[in-house]
Amino acid sequence: MKKFLNLLAKEIKELITLQLFISLLFTIFLFYFIGQMAKSEMKRAMRTQKIAVLDMDASTLSQQLTDSLNMARFQVEKLRGKSKEEAVEWTKASDINLLLVIPPGFGESLSTLELKEMETYSFLRSFSIVGSRTSVILGSVISALNNYISDDFLKKKIPDFSPEKLKKPVRSKDFVIIKGRMAEGSASSIAGFISNQSLFIPIILMMIIIYSSQMVISAIAMEKQNKTLETLLTVPISRTSIVTTKMLASAVVGLISAVIYMFGFSYYMSGFMGDVRQQVASEGLGRVIQELGLAPTANSYLILGISLFLAILCALAMATILGVLAEDYRSAQSLIMPVIFLVMIPYFLSFFSDIKNLSLPVKLFVWAIPFSHPFLTTQNLLLENYTAVFGGIVYMLVFFIFLIAIAARIFSTDRVLTMKLRFRRKKLLL
Amino acid sequence: MDAVLEVEGLKKNYGSLEALKGISFQVKPGEIFALIGPNGAGKTTALRIVATLLSASDGKVTFLGHDLKKEPEKFREKISYLPEEAGAYRNLKGIDYLRFMARFYADSDEKTREFVDRAKSIADLGTRLNEKAGTYSKGMVRKLLLGRALMTRPHLAILDEPTSGLDVINALEVREIIKKFAAEGISVLLSSHNMLEIEFLSDRVALIDKGVILDSGTSSELKEKYRAGNLEEVFRSALR
Repeated sequence: MKKFLNLLAKEIKELITLQLFISLLFTIFLFYFIGQMAKSEMKRAMRTQKIAVLDMDASTLSQQLTDSLNMARFQVEKLRGKSKEEAVEWTKASDINLLLVIPPGFGESLSTLELKEMETYSFLRSFSIVGSRTSVILGSVISALNNYISDDFLKKKIPDFSPEKLKKPVRSKDFVIIKGRMAEGSASSIAGFISNQSLFIPIILMMIIIYSSQMVISAIAMEKQNKTLETLLTVPISRTSIVTTKMLASAVVGLISAVIYMFGFSYYMSGFMGDVRQQVASEGLGRVIQELGLAPTANSYLILGISLFLAILCALAMATILGVLAEDYRSAQSLIMPVIFLVMIPYFLSFFSDIKNLSLPVKLFVWAIPFSHPFLTTQNLLLENYTAVFGGIVYMLVFFIFLIAIAARIFSTDRVLTMKLRFRRKKLLL
Repeated sequence: MDAVLEVEGLKKNYGSLEALKGISFQVKPGEIFALIGPNGAGKTTALRIVATLLSASDGKVTFLGHDLKKEPEKFREKISYLPEEAGAYRNLKGIDYLRFMARFYADSDEKTREFVDRAKSIADLGTRLNEKAGTYSKGMVRKLLLGRALMTRPHLAILDEPTSGLDVINALEVREIIKKFAAEGISVLLSSHNMLEIEFLSDRVALIDKGVILDSGTSSELKEKYRAGNLEEVFRSALR
């Protein structure tokens, strides 16, 4: 045990380098910086929007429309005594991105409800989030004007009726049912919330797997390149201990790095998505989630944790075998690719499709990849598909034992030194 | 005197390539035994088999009465192997590297300290031992590794091209260290293609080429037998 701990401490010490710290700090700073930028851009995009209005009609209706925009929380800049061309030039020189031109005779055309076309000029000054919001604002402006005119028209024609009831006569009370539990709420908002909640799991998993695998492959490749592995294999410690400590050290450092990465990543995502807790509070989702039994429990976290950990162990065992094939540090960088592909397949499938709806051969292929199971665990836990959850855990455990047996076998034979995936011509060291 | 290491009919095949074709030799206590031959002769393969890194295709290797095939762990406890052009862990300080390696052999902290102190005196790197091995020159790394290899006073030190890539001064120092430790009773099995170095260092020599031992004996015996002035001429004559 003393020798095992000695080796483990060395492996961890070797992995925790100044470069690792710098890279982690830089990543966190980058995520934080982008997140803050996105947050401030989103805030700017959400605040009261300015619109320039050139009223060439000057009718009661056009006046009322302009006022209605004020009420719809737009900041209206009325342009007076200007031609259309002058108004365009004026807006171009200002920081306003939208110009609305109400044509002459607009008010008169109301009686027939065949209104003259308004002209809108959008100034796309950048393609950032704020820049692209101009089209959304334009849609909101036209929608606000249409609502005002149609509501006004309906109020005059049928004064005893609420225009809202007339425009949307069919209303619904929505219920969502999940596994026999029912709650009043919108299916789309619950699906959106769950999707937001589980968005992080594939990202965490992908990052840890790629990061830890990279470390273990590189560690073995570096040992081979520096010939420290030859020395290590002749010291009195079992080969299984050598394999295990390499994997354990990579798992520990990989997990720490992933937690730090995720800390930065949560800043980044909150910049784009806002605070989920606020969303839950504002939409009353918390109650619905509780009623539907979708709130995560300690057990579900534990099962998810086991699933994630087994996937990481499978990746590390795979990386250990691939590391033996590496001739040097450079070739190790190419050998990580199979692991990355195997993580990417379920990662993208979990984002863009439902694995349950795939054809049987594709489904079997996806299930055969051990990393698919933790991607599916969250959904399966929420839907109480415990057979799939525990089946996945047992499969990953068997897969890991099989791989570790292969890795230990390789380390116990000549293959640890002679097995090489050569990218150049074959050469034997005699 | 009984041999520390006995190698009989050792064969090693890499697929269809016969790297060793049944070589036999013995290493006695406190003896420096050298395998000399050109690159690709099979020296490293033989050393790697004795160091428990590679398995033999055929033949028998016995070390202090233990059979290599049956008890490789007994070998590992009492041997020390210095591979050709080996490095140290770049992110570990020299002193940490020595401590790390000593802990595999020491059964107490006191013993660890004793091993490390001995390695420090062999390596003679002074305060540079407190710096990371990644900053060392090739000569410094070699001396650090030699310190590591000899610090436990192994029953058998297996040294593959111990002065490979070193400048004249460092090579001389390394040779002196090996001589000194052998004089204290450590058996040494070494390989080199530098025949003048072998002549200076070794008690007995085996000439190896294409996986076969052509001849063996002391340097003076071989020179006399082949009427040669040095081992290079001996080797050329043995090849004919």
